[in-house]
Amino acid sequence: MSVHDTPAWKALDDHAATMKQTHLRDLFLGTESTSRFDTLSVSHQHLLLDFSKQRITQTTLSLLKALATDCQLDDWKARLFSGDTINTSENRPALHTALRLPANSELLLDEHNIAEDVHVNLTHMGSMVERIHAGQWRGYSGLPIDTIVNIGVGGSDLGPLMACKALTDAQPPAGHQLKVHFVSSMDGSQIADLLDQLSPQTTLFIISSKSFTTIDTLSNANTARQWLKSASDVKTELLNRRHFIGVSASQEKMNQWGIPENSQLNFWDWTGGRYSMWSAIGLPIALRIGMPGFKAMLSGAHAMDEHFKTAPFEENLPVQLGMIGVWNINFLDIHAHAILPYDGRLSHLPAYLEQLEMESNGKSVSRQGKTIDYHTCPILWGEIGPNAQHAFYQLLHQGTESVMCDFIAPARRYEELDNSELQQQHQLSLANCLAQSRLLALGDAAIAGNDAAPIHKRYRGNQPSTTVLIDELTPYSFGQLIALYEHKVFVQSVIWDINPFDQWGVELGKKMATDLLKPLLKEQPTTVKERPFDSSTEGLLSAILQKQELAKQDQTQAKEKGSSL
Amino acid sequence: MKIAIWGHELTAWATAALLAQSGNDIFLVNDTQITDPVTLMGSSIRNEPGLQDLINQQFEKQNLQFIHSGSASLLSTHIISMNPAAFDQAHQLVSGIARVRSGKPLSADQQPDKLLIINQSHFGVGSTDKLQALLDIDKDQVVVYLAENISEGEALKNIRQPKSLTFGSTNQWASMMTRALLRPFSSQLEQLLVMTPKEAEFAKLSITGMLALRIGYINELANLAEQLDVDIDVIKQSLGADPRIGHHYLAPGCGFGGNTFSQTTKGLANLLTEKRQSHLLDTVLQENEKQKEQPFRKLWRHYECDIHKLNITLWGVSFKPGSAALDSAPSLKIINALLAQQANIHIHDPEALENIEKLYGGHPQVHTYRDKYEALNQSNALLLLTEWPEYASPDYEQMLERMQAPLIIDGRNLLSKELAQSIGFTYYGIGR
Repeated sequence: MSVHDTPAWKALDDHAATMKQTHLRDLFLGTESTSRFDTLSVSHQHLLLDFSKQRITQTTLSLLKALATDCQLDDWKARLFSGDTINTSENRPALHTALRLPANSELLLDEHNIAEDVHVNLTHMGSMVERIHAGQWRGYSGLPIDTIVNIGVGGSDLGPLMACKALTDAQPPAGHQLKVHFVSSMDGSQIADLLDQLSPQTTLFIISSKSFTTIDTLSNANTARQWLKSASDVKTELLNRRHFIGVSASQEKMNQWGIPENSQLNFWDWTGGRYSMWSAIGLPIALRIGMPGFKAMLSGAHAMDEHFKTAPFEENLPVQLGMIGVWNINFLDIHAHAILPYDGRLSHLPAYLEQLEMESNGKSVSRQGKTIDYHTCPILWGEIGPNAQHAFYQLLHQGTESVMCDFIAPARRYEELDNSELQQQHQLSLANCLAQSRLLALGDAAIAGNDAAPIHKRYRGNQPSTTVLIDELTPYSFGQLIALYEHKVFVQSVIWDINPFDQWGVELGKKMATDLLKPLLKEQPTTVKERPFDSSTEGLLSAILQKQELAKQDQTQAKEKGSSL
Repeated sequence: MKIAIWGHELTAWATAALLAQSGNDIFLVNDTQITDPVTLMGSSIRNEPGLQDLINQQFEKQNLQFIHSGSASLLSTHIISMNPAAFDQAHQLVSGIARVRSGKPLSADQQPDKLLIINQSHFGVGSTDKLQALLDIDKDQVVVYLAENISEGEALKNIRQPKSLTFGSTNQWASMMTRALLRPFSSQLEQLLVMTPKEAEFAKLSITGMLALRIGYINELANLAEQLDVDIDVIKQSLGADPRIGHHYLAPGCGFGGNTFSQTTKGLANLLTEKRQSHLLDTVLQENEKQKEQPFRKLWRHYECDIHKLNITLWGVSFKPGSAALDSAPSLKIINALLAQQANIHIHDPEALENIEKLYGGHPQVHTYRDKYEALNQSNALLLLTEWPEYASPDYEQMLERMQAPLIIDGRNLLSKELAQSIGFTYYGIGR
């Protein structure tokens, strides 16, 4: 039976019929109005989630609770944490929560304590960080490494990139002095620009790839190695030993590429790429904020794990966040979700959540292998709030689309600085955050007299939002925040009955690219007739090849002309 | 003259000893419980040639004695020889002296108003003026600046027979008093320069900066010479033969250390960065830090980036010959680099072993030797880091016999490259 057909779903459908007619403004005017914040906000440690600007009532929540019960959410939670094989299409568990277990914990997988593996690996990672911070990781010339380039894409890029930016205020001096760069793009434009500015003698590359076969990453890694080789005139084996760290689940592939064993960090099959910044994939984070900072981030995430596991429905942050999302998507028909951090340090959070949510829940086949007949993950995008105010907020306020928003802001910042200008800028940012969510919810009603304004100056309102208030952005609270979203995604996958841990939709494109590389490298007949592609692809292929051929002829001619002079 | 001397730096001790010897009554300020001067000196000052004996002698003759700071404040002549970082302390003590002056004369033989304070600490440009501001110069209460010019290992000689003296004073009486005090040390004096205190402080900084620049420059040239396959010795001779340049401070090597020199240069570098946005001296200092690891890098490349478990011998760890001090010494950076690579380190130094043992005593990778050849047993490389005279003509045959691999990395270009090579050593110098 589809979840669509459960009594709980039907009850929510009925309830939604009324709620669709109810404006948020009226919810704030109604009988429960004054206590709305008190009853509809929940907090845990350093996070406070305000749901009172969502289009919900207590009835909505109790109906959602019934739906969660019908979908056996508690049972699924238990299976997630215990390492049950819930990623069925790839036949493995999803144990990112094991990556943040405290030292000396035990989690048995096939009778093997993986918590111990995790901590052995963390220790190895810690010794690398310590050596680099001490200026004692030496390059081929004997100079200390002072520049790190992380080569990775997707989960091996977005998480570390986001965290490094988010936690700039938590850097110890040694982490601050280090230059850390990220390279992901396949076309080589990032790495070519970057290498021009770096010194080969003092640059260390981290090659992060779960499979260690990702073509984007390996082609960048080969470019890096070639750059070192032509600069140094040193044996490749020496360069591999002193200028590369590999992070992968495939020891064999790392060996093949030439990474020596003590420069290898492992993670495991049971960690999905987009859930991997807690593992050795987080090495750039640890290099920036130090191991104590990295461990604080893990503790924050672990605290959220425990909270998710044990807190009752009404107080459970990830459960509430996930279920209210389901309400918006499946019952209020909202299919766009904006992520709006009011803190420049969280500038990469939208891109990170785009992958986390859309790669996890952008699916339309149930765990039973059936095409599903309801909406799943919405389109998610975002930008630093105050910047987005000058970009797409117009659409939020006066467009035709219903959009749900997450406003994310730290309550405290710059307190330790003696800089009243910056402190004032923080208050200004908070004022904007509160103003926008208020206006989106209430519309004209937020401003006395605005209902008399001409129609093009009117605000419809009724756009629901959640405000995530962080006490202060620290490694610990940041760990909590990211784990909150991970579990929210899981909650929704349970309701929608889909597997959030695979990503088959990204596989076929990779294979197709391999096929298309052949004609571009002229390894296949170049006449159109013998090739199997559609006419659009054929047309583009021919145009590309023709342009390249013409340019080559021009060059040859110019050269001949030059030599004859 | 009755003089109080403030500070426990090498300059303070050497000045105290020599002023006592020339007939003054010297009171060295000491607020600690320590009564034995040698204990108070500490190991690096104690090793200064001739100093310990002279201090003991002058204490015996009672020309030199300790005094508590409270009583010292009552005297009319003071010398401040303190650590460059102790300006606040100096400021405090001068205001203390000023307070005493503002009261009534305390005894008949005390001149009621006149006061001479000679500052010979590197507190930075303008700091003598700041101290002067606490006193009334019209009543002949004066702080003058005397540029000290001593190097560790030669401190007594430097004070006894300076070739040139620079002091900063704008007060006639104070200038006369200072000259009188320095008269016994003027036999070899070729030039005496008197200017304002600020100018004298600036001049002192400028000299140190110039020397640092010369060393930085010759080291850069040496590193380049190496890459171009040119012998820096030849270049050095040619540079020195030019009368506009001269031979001093043109020896390439693995960087300069020492507290006073490094700190003074750093002071000027900071001043240049702050006021002029100029990074000239900053760069010199940064390159000097890199240069300190140059012998390590040669070793690293020789062994193809793997020196794990190798036996590495260090000859000379003090920052310069004639001193036991390790302050900012290149050896410290090299020892840390070797430790991080899990090499075993075998150290000889004629004077600094005690200080090394204080830092690394009991470390399983660090071993010290009283005999320089014993330190070479089973060695995979010799790194010569301090140009102690006793290393200049070693018994190469014996070295060859004891070492596991015949490799010499000469951080001071002390040895004969040709001879070492002819006996069978692989030899790396700095720029040759």
